Amino acid sequence: MTLQKDPEGFEKKILHKYADFTDKRILEVGCGEGRLTWRYADASNLTVGLDPDQDSLRVAHADSPSDLRGRVLFTQASAKNIPFAKETFDIAILAWSL
Amino acid sequence: MVHALDEIRRTLKPDGILIDLRPMQDHWSVEVASMKEVKAAGLLTDMPIGIADDEASFRAMRDVESHGWFVKERAEEFAFFYYWDMPSEMKEYMEKEWEDFEKLEDDVYRAAQSLWSSANADARVRVRMKMLIARWSKSKVK
Repeated sequence: MTLQKDPEGFEKKILHKYADFTDKRILEVGCGEGRLTWRYADASNLTVGLDPDQDSLRVAHADSPSDLRGRVLFTQASAKNIPFAKETFDIAILAWSL
Repeated sequence: MVHALDEIRRTLKPDGILIDLRPMQDHWSVEVASMKEVKAAGLLTDMPIGIADDEASFRAMRDVESHGWFVKERAEEFAFFYYWDMPSEMKEYMEKEWEDFEKLEDDVYRAAQSLWSSANADARVRVRMKMLIARWSKSKVK
């Protein structure tokens, strides 16, 4: 099956209109397989993708571009208990997850 | 949801922002699109679980706003498209992935098949989803 999501890139364009990710620390809640993550992570200082589903996170890990591996982390966790200290992030993204 | 939003707030810096990005149920349209033209085949039927999820999401954001945890700065809607090469692929995907949220009625599917079969060779079938993006700033008070 050939499925394409947002080939026009509308989501990426509007996301960057709503936030400047340059050198920021980003928390993405509900990152899944990282589809959205790769649309902004290259600009960030650090990106943490959070998702409770380990299978999705495995795909996200596998798809990680080599040049971003030091700056992008994927963590299995629920948004109800985020394993990071207070005031860690500049931007949080609810990625299709609210 | 509200507890999760409070937890997100905890991890944000004092001047941090929250981006809420999500699809909203709104009878998404099924279309056949080629380089030459786009033709509408009909609308999907919103299912009760999806409608309830949307209501819960909006209620959660209203709650955090009323608690003074976040302040809405701006929001807008935009289109997001899912494309398939042929109508049968779209139907298969929806039955597997969207069963609880959207229903492809038989008449809409038949219309999509008809439009696709008579369209240019490059035609694909797509669903136009309604998306919401909202930017919230972390409030100084709690």
